[in-house]
Amino acid sequence: MYLKLAGAALIIFAAYLMGCQVCALYQRRVRCLEEIILGLEMFRAEVNYGLTPLPQAFQAIGKKLNKPVGTLFFDFSSFLRQGKGLSALECWRSALEKSKPELSLKNEQMEILERLGSAWGHGDKEGQGRQISLMQELLRQALEEARAESQKNDRLWKYLGLIGGTTLVLFLF
Amino acid sequence: MLDTSINIKKQICPFLPPKLRSIIEHLPCELLSKTEEIRLRHSRPLIICWAGGESYLGEEGPVAVPSEAYHLSGEDLRKTIELISNYSLYAFEDEISKGYLTIPGGHRVGLAGRTVVEKGTIKTIRDINAFNIRIARQVKGVGERVFPFLIDRKAGRILHSLIISPPQGGKTTLLRDLARIISDGIGVLGQRGQKVGIVDERSEIAGCFRGIPQLEIGLRTDVLDACPKAEGIMLMLRSLSPQVIITDEIGRREDALAVEEAVHAGVTVIASAHGSLLEDVMQRPILRELLEKNYFERLIFLSNKRGPGTLEMIIEGERGLPLYSANTGGEL
Repeated sequence: MYLKLAGAALIIFAAYLMGCQVCALYQRRVRCLEEIILGLEMFRAEVNYGLTPLPQAFQAIGKKLNKPVGTLFFDFSSFLRQGKGLSALECWRSALEKSKPELSLKNEQMEILERLGSAWGHGDKEGQGRQISLMQELLRQALEEARAESQKNDRLWKYLGLIGGTTLVLFLF
Repeated sequence: MLDTSINIKKQICPFLPPKLRSIIEHLPCELLSKTEEIRLRHSRPLIICWAGGESYLGEEGPVAVPSEAYHLSGEDLRKTIELISNYSLYAFEDEISKGYLTIPGGHRVGLAGRTVVEKGTIKTIRDINAFNIRIARQVKGVGERVFPFLIDRKAGRILHSLIISPPQGGKTTLLRDLARIISDGIGVLGQRGQKVGIVDERSEIAGCFRGIPQLEIGLRTDVLDACPKAEGIMLMLRSLSPQVIITDEIGRREDALAVEEAVHAGVTVIASAHGSLLEDVMQRPILRELLEKNYFERLIFLSNKRGPGTLEMIIEGERGLPLYSANTGGEL
């Protein structure tokens, strides 16, 4: 009897954990978008106060940010410094492709990131600043949506896990 | 001269998009070694130029007619500007407003496009549609022939000198070599060199990249890079205690005032000006004033008759006595 009870508890707990896993995906998206917005703000400072060239700026920012966004920025810098004569857009796309599985962003969020590629390094200081602001605005909208989605789905998936586990136990017993 | 060919492959090709890079890299060394300029123009043929000649370049090498040459696309030019600005146009606003960028090795890339003018001055250049990559070449030793004429052996000092030549006549190359000779010292004025200050408004003399001279300018030489001449000369006098100031292409009122200031401060000035003959220079009010006041003790005339840097004549500033003339076969 005790063994059955322990087994049932384990099934319910495992199902709950699965629900938590799905919630973590939503939270990871939120954190990624937050980090990218923060990275852009750091880039703005590098442009305005240091006039740091793009490859060096992204190398420094990549080191400061957490994975996977830090890795994305760092990879971008590495592609830029390879000296193969690629454009910034091509380098950004390659870095994005490499980091895509870890970023776990939705397609529409990835599209915004792809658009970022055409903003790098073009125009004067003022123009670059405007590009950064525009991209941050788009990312903030995406962040708000991601937050709302995360909050909405957080309880849902945890309850689903719990209820699913309980239903399975009842079914088995 | 093989050096130039290697320099182009090592220092310039990395700043070109893969297609152009491949075309240039596959050119014969003899052609590359005499190349002075690589011209990239939107929808027009890729051209390389040298003293007295040029060649259209196709994908397989030099071609005879423009229609067979490789025509540059907008994508080629966009990539080129990204590569030469290290993907960071925002970091080169000042240089772009002056119409050029300098890349490692001291090579200068001239830009043409749509200018944005604010309060009467060029703020930036947008929609860049043409590049002129000018290969910086150091010709060591060109100043050694001229230098003995620029010394007052009795007083043990270097004389104020003005180098006059038409464009691409070798003014900057001579200024650079004189800076190296004076700075390192070659024993003419004793073993020690003198402190030299270069005010390099157009980053041509020292070919600085991010403030670091890319060409050999001597052990005791300080460079104010991309600095307006007049302000630069005054700054040099105030804080860097130079014995010789070298600058190029003087011509504005404030430049003349700064030169006067330096001369009165006991600092030797060696400068350059555009022109072929003394009459050309005398027609420019500011230079005429400087010459009439006899500030320059030596006038050196160059031409590109027998290649850039042909020494035509050296005359004494005050009395106009010729000290050297190519026509008579040398020293007088």
